[in-house]
Amino acid sequence: MPDIYSLLRNMGRRLPVYMLIDTSGSMRGEPIESVKVGLEAMLSSLRQEPYALDTVNISIITFDREVKVLAPLTPLEDFQLPEIVVPESGPTFTGAALELLCKQVDAEVRLSTPERKGDWMPLLFLLTDGKPSDKQAYNNVIPEIKKRHFASIVACAAGMHAKTEPLKQLTDQVFALDTLDSASFKKFFQWVSASIEIGNKSIGATDELELPPPPEEVNVIV
Amino acid sequence: MDLKDRLSNLMIECSDARFEDFTQWIVKKLWNEYDKDCMDKRVIIENQIKELPIVIPNGTVGKEYSATIRLPEDVIEDYWLDGLDDIGLQGNPEEHNVCTISGVPTTAGSFEIVLRYKYKGCIDEKDLLQRGFPIVINPDPRTLWKDVPTPEDIEYYQPDRDHTYVKVEARDGIPQKDIVAASQRGRSHAHEGNPRDDHFRVEYLEDCGWYVMAVADGAGSAKYSRKGSWLACDTSVEHCKSYFSDEKSLHDFEEYITTYNGEANDEYRKLLGDSIHQLIGNAAFKSYKAIEAEAVSKGVPIKNYATTLLLAVCKKFDFGWFVASFWVGDGAMCIYDKERKYFKLLGTPDEGEFAGQTRFLTMPEIFRDATSFYGRLKFSIEQDFTALMLMTDGVSDPMFETDANLNKIEKWDALWENITKEVKLTDDNTESQYQLMQWLDFWSQGNHDDRTIAILY
Repeated sequence: MPDIYSLLRNMGRRLPVYMLIDTSGSMRGEPIESVKVGLEAMLSSLRQEPYALDTVNISIITFDREVKVLAPLTPLEDFQLPEIVVPESGPTFTGAALELLCKQVDAEVRLSTPERKGDWMPLLFLLTDGKPSDKQAYNNVIPEIKKRHFASIVACAAGMHAKTEPLKQLTDQVFALDTLDSASFKKFFQWVSASIEIGNKSIGATDELELPPPPEEVNVIV
Repeated sequence: MDLKDRLSNLMIECSDARFEDFTQWIVKKLWNEYDKDCMDKRVIIENQIKELPIVIPNGTVGKEYSATIRLPEDVIEDYWLDGLDDIGLQGNPEEHNVCTISGVPTTAGSFEIVLRYKYKGCIDEKDLLQRGFPIVINPDPRTLWKDVPTPEDIEYYQPDRDHTYVKVEARDGIPQKDIVAASQRGRSHAHEGNPRDDHFRVEYLEDCGWYVMAVADGAGSAKYSRKGSWLACDTSVEHCKSYFSDEKSLHDFEEYITTYNGEANDEYRKLLGDSIHQLIGNAAFKSYKAIEAEAVSKGVPIKNYATTLLLAVCKKFDFGWFVASFWVGDGAMCIYDKERKYFKLLGTPDEGEFAGQTRFLTMPEIFRDATSFYGRLKFSIEQDFTALMLMTDGVSDPMFETDANLNKIEKWDALWENITKEVKLTDDNTESQYQLMQWLDFWSQGNHDDRTIAILY
């Protein structure tokens, strides 16, 4: 007999959360290890939130010279952090990653039909320590992203070499981390998890989420 | 033949001392080689097991768990798992090195299970190898919900729960329909100490015999929606009351109903339609205006007061029941008859592509487009019915799941059975308001919004 809870869960409204993570060569070593620690901390803090456990679904997409769906949209309850591998060097295909994201959103996010309840509007978090190497593709895909109705898009420029200008084309909510160490990432992901919880609670009327104030380590780019 | 004889056969003669040295040398050399060989085998197996992808699904406290791991038979002779007991799980080794992990997890968190094993070729019983693998146990979401009372000093405070019973005394020995209503703050609000945004108001007007019912759902994300839903219910019910207290309007309205019931032609339909517009349509519009005035006085946008509104008036005539209604937003409003297996939805819920998207009374476009506005007004003449129900999406979402299901009699039957199992809806049972309040506490995963239902029965 199928598990009644998983049946209900499949029918229920989900909050899809997409995390796009830069895995270009410069992220090798401490930076990516810190990201992993931050992600783990984020997951365990979300698991303490009953509404998040009921609704949050997470997907992780990485981008370097290749773009990969490391984890398709998976309920938080079942989610396991996949292995994240970083190549030694190479370009940062942010544009291609956003193209893949559109495909994933189209395939995974459920819209309301008479027979089915739609998902909540998805959230997108993008983390990069550089700039898009595929500038043309990046510019072209931005209007496509806007069509996907994200409830909120948060872009984070991590470290000295991250460029905030291209990110500002994608969203008004651009933040910067000065360093790529575990303390900064931990703070960042704590804040991401708080933002996801806000997403959970914001039901209906608002077009855009009001995010919680970012921690000191996270600088707001205006 | 011993070793010394073999040496002499090979014409090698040596002193006892030398022979002794030789044997020691050969034993040491062979031992080292043997030892290295054993070690290599051990390391190879250890690495092989380390690389083995042992991935088991996450568990949840209180929920039956089962996972299977397979270990290579050619390199592992015996094994067991440590760390399962502490979280309420057991490992059950089966044939061919298959092990099932099962049980009902008792502790939430991230844990490491240790696999200890005796590898093939291991001579010393104590020389065991081990590797760890992770397991995540989610907490039971039900135990995580907090119930934080709403601070009473917030603007527009309203209690976290509300219920009422409108008892209509029997007339000439015939029981009259009563109204029971209850409203409960959702778990997602209670968890944060946020107020209930739903509201209802139900009345029976003794003098004229009309029932008036309003249910409203303030948008969770709109700052003052609890005041919006309050104003929507209060203003619309007040408008209906004053309309019915005006002798001429009341008389005309009831006459149009009777005439239309006698002969349903276009002229009578229009007369009745216009009256319904004056009654219910204006009730909705006045609610909008009241909310707008409140927003202006506060100097904030009207969308901060976003709310839905389900409004119905109803009266028994000698030819049957007349029901008129207005509906904007999600939720459900329906006339239901158990015996006749009959239901009639008084409109369609407004829902968007994504969850939680709906229309609100506070959107000016609701009133701008006359055709769509008239579409929100409905009336119906019924012989009799079991119940007239108005509910917010906090109730209709978990009960119906989809809009399509709102059009299925089985679903309405199921809802009615579900309610009446716990709520004794017998005539004049004022206790049923507490039972209904209790019923509203039902559990449904992912559905933790405010819940409000009003039933005329």
